[in-house]
Amino acid sequence: MASITTNPVAVRFRTATGWARRAPFALFWLLVAAILLLPILLFLLVAFSPRLFDQGPQWFSLSGFQQAFQGPMLQGIGDTLMIGTVTALASAAIGFAVAWVVHRVRVPGRRLWSGGMFALLFVPSYLIALGWERLLEPQGVLDLLHVPDSAARSLLYGPVGVIGVLTVKGIPFAYLAVSAGLRGLGEEFEAAVRVHGGGRSAVVRTVLALLAPALWSALAIVFAESISDFGVASTLANDAHFPVATFELYNAVDNFPVQFPVAAAVSWLLLAMAALALLAQHAALRGRSYRVLGGRTRPARRRDLSGPATAGVFIGMALLYLGALGVPTFGAVSASLINGLGTLMGGANFSFDNYRRALTSPELYQPLLYSGGLGAITATVTVLLGLVVARLLTSRRGRASARMLDLLLLAAVALPGIVFAAGYIFTYNLPLTNDLGIHLYETTSLLVLGYIATALPPASRVLFGSVGQVQESLREAARVHGSTEVVSWLKVMLPLLARPLLAAWSLTFGATVLELPISQLLYPPNDPTVSVGIESALSKYDYGGGTAMEVLAVLASLAVIGLVWGIFQLVAPAGWRRLGRTS
Amino acid sequence: MTGHQVRFVGAGKKYGAVRALDGVDLEVPAGTFLVLLGPSGSGKTTLVRALAGIERLDEGEIHIGDRVVSEPRRHVPPEQRDLAMVFQDYALWPHLTAAGNVGYALRRRKLTSDQAKVRCREALERVGLAGLAERYPHELSGGQQQRVALARAIVAEPGLLLFDEPLSNLDTDLRERLRVEISTLTRQSGASAVYITHDQAEAFALADVIGVLDQGRLVQLADPETLYHRPATPFVACFTGLSGELEGTVLEHEGDFALTQVGPWRLRARSATPLARGSAVRVMIRPAATGFADGDAGVGGAVDDHGVVEGTVVDVAYRGRGYDHVVACADGMLTSVFSVQPRTRGAQVKLALDAHGCNAFPLTGEAPISYDREVTAVTASSQTSVAVEHKQGVAE
Repeated sequence: MASITTNPVAVRFRTATGWARRAPFALFWLLVAAILLLPILLFLLVAFSPRLFDQGPQWFSLSGFQQAFQGPMLQGIGDTLMIGTVTALASAAIGFAVAWVVHRVRVPGRRLWSGGMFALLFVPSYLIALGWERLLEPQGVLDLLHVPDSAARSLLYGPVGVIGVLTVKGIPFAYLAVSAGLRGLGEEFEAAVRVHGGGRSAVVRTVLALLAPALWSALAIVFAESISDFGVASTLANDAHFPVATFELYNAVDNFPVQFPVAAAVSWLLLAMAALALLAQHAALRGRSYRVLGGRTRPARRRDLSGPATAGVFIGMALLYLGALGVPTFGAVSASLINGLGTLMGGANFSFDNYRRALTSPELYQPLLYSGGLGAITATVTVLLGLVVARLLTSRRGRASARMLDLLLLAAVALPGIVFAAGYIFTYNLPLTNDLGIHLYETTSLLVLGYIATALPPASRVLFGSVGQVQESLREAARVHGSTEVVSWLKVMLPLLARPLLAAWSLTFGATVLELPISQLLYPPNDPTVSVGIESALSKYDYGGGTAMEVLAVLASLAVIGLVWGIFQLVAPAGWRRLGRTS
Repeated sequence: MTGHQVRFVGAGKKYGAVRALDGVDLEVPAGTFLVLLGPSGSGKTTLVRALAGIERLDEGEIHIGDRVVSEPRRHVPPEQRDLAMVFQDYALWPHLTAAGNVGYALRRRKLTSDQAKVRCREALERVGLAGLAERYPHELSGGQQQRVALARAIVAEPGLLLFDEPLSNLDTDLRERLRVEISTLTRQSGASAVYITHDQAEAFALADVIGVLDQGRLVQLADPETLYHRPATPFVACFTGLSGELEGTVLEHEGDFALTQVGPWRLRARSATPLARGSAVRVMIRPAATGFADGDAGVGGAVDDHGVVEGTVVDVAYRGRGYDHVVACADGMLTSVFSVQPRTRGAQVKLALDAHGCNAFPLTGEAPISYDREVTAVTASSQTSVAVEHKQGVAE
């Protein structure tokens, strides 16, 4: 018979089980500090204390800010604010319309429109800008085809063009934010308006009010993305002599004399703008409840449109994608097939010479190989670290450290890539860093660290959702049925997370191969990356070679990603492949 | 296969400021089916997870068989504890088929592939799923998924089986059928079992021994009969099924029973702790102890063993075999008063209350009591006379 024992042992508290168990976490935090925290903190600090880092005579000074509010810098900051605001509004409106068409209307090509948004998300902004430029520049593709384009050219090379390209780039962010809101919004809210006497406009007003969190989120994300963009700033905006903050920051760091305090001041201003957007979002939503998704929510139905309306929507969507993806693609591909594009000498003709050169000239193909290798390394390391981050964020243990990590990653997402790059140049070129024996400046290692630092926040966000979905009991079940910690990860967690891990790898790889701001500032002198190679070719008026590189880089990235998924489909066990698939 | 003896000594665990386990001492002989019963937050899940090795104790020890598997500076990982577990959410791995899930648990047995296949098929046959071995978890119903989890637990013939509220996600009919399967398969395997639930009916149906947990403490460990008839505390009485409770004062106490004054009525109630004359008590009444005192009372026993109270019927619910009534007495409400004949709402009725199903506890304090001694029973009477009888202690 069972019994309650009568002699309880003396209370013995568990002491720490030793550093061995905590060492990996300490190492992880050290890495996070080295790649995320320190470079940015030190760089931002120099805006207030130049002397602290041998950047000036004063211990405390606001001269960096004073210089930032003068001349082209001030104009750049003003332009950035204007661009961010207009772009956010335009992208949110178009993104909302696309999301509504995809989720609420029966219109041909829904999957295509939805997939197109992801393609747009994947393409860097400078490639879209360059595509348009190749078409409309003097002696560009349209000039060669004798299409009159002077009016369109004057629009492109100015605020309208910059805002247009950034709006196109912002649409997928707005689309994703609004789609998430729309999916959770059941049809009963619309039905309630109609049965209580509201018309269609009342329904739209109600839906817009209920989608306020998603819309504000879209506005904030697009605003932050636009003000931190460097791709359009360094191509179209620069060519149009339209100064924006990120390019002014780049100039402050890249030109002699290097002005780190000014660059840091501009970074503070960019951060302040992003923070203001988030504050505006917070203030708009405070004190209200938008909990519309519950177990009893009925999914909304797609509406049938009349024939003319369907045709109108279809044409509208087609035009949107034509402008967003079609024209830049046509511009880039056609430019890559024309010899002597952009020269005033005449004699331009269609040929594959540019591709032949891109594949045989080391100056053109080596950056592609180099970026491919860096992309693979960065994606692999980032995904592994992202998995650790996602695990820490979803773990039931260590809530305080998880909250801190979460905050750090959120801040890192809001930081422009160019600020990261400037922080890296600054921190790893400090005499103190050299004295510590860390000689990373102008090395591939620093470039990879920079890539990882910018890729880690989004990658860990992608993985966070999937890791959080895996029930803890699945791994516990593996442990109690005989598997060690490592085996339980390999046999249970890896299969469950294989698809999200591959998705995160693919996103990171693609983004790294075509990455611009970090590459521009941190590439080792003799090893340009593909984006730097493209810029370099274009700056030497080798438009054909540059665009051929562009096309090859995009195709190569897609080929590698396709290959990885193909291998997964062929090699992974059936059970792994079934997970996450819809029936 | 022989089961393992399980022993907790001073087991303690804190989550921040919350004390999930507070010095639990408990010993279960090999081959016993122990059910841990308690409300949400009572610590039963923590206790089982600590036994599995998924959680680490802050204090105390856990012994499985002859081995110490947990103590302040030692923690044997789950995979080395020779146990298996059925999870509340089944925890079937979605990338593996039913056979894959069951076969996973055999890896530690180092069998040949053919042997493993045979064992796997046998386990699935035992749970009635031989034809569904190649299905993935999402292709199975909830009951089938739980059967796969059960097969996975028994296939490797571990010495200890743990069940974490395995039936809580199933409908009533399926619960009952699976409960029988769990009971049968576990006892056939010879393994010891620790099963947690907050459902007292499930606990009584399954257990050799029930441990009741409250706020991280083990408040009573006994066989189901003892637990039902002699709850150690008001909490245990409450958690194992009550019709209601009435407050009163002690008139007499002799042996195992006290005569109490409840409003204008006199009730006999069991109480193992001596209750001082005049002290305030709460009389906790089991549903089976109630019945109407006008002919078809649902209670057995001699009339002398029953106290009588009067009240008003406030609700009637048809239950198929008869009617459950809710009766308002002077300062309390008695529910589940059964009769094959319905009483009308608002009717004045007399209720007979069997003293053996009434337990009196002091109104203040919840001193645990032990039944490991000879106790004297005082039979309650509705009259002024007190019948005294002596009984042997019912628990070993």
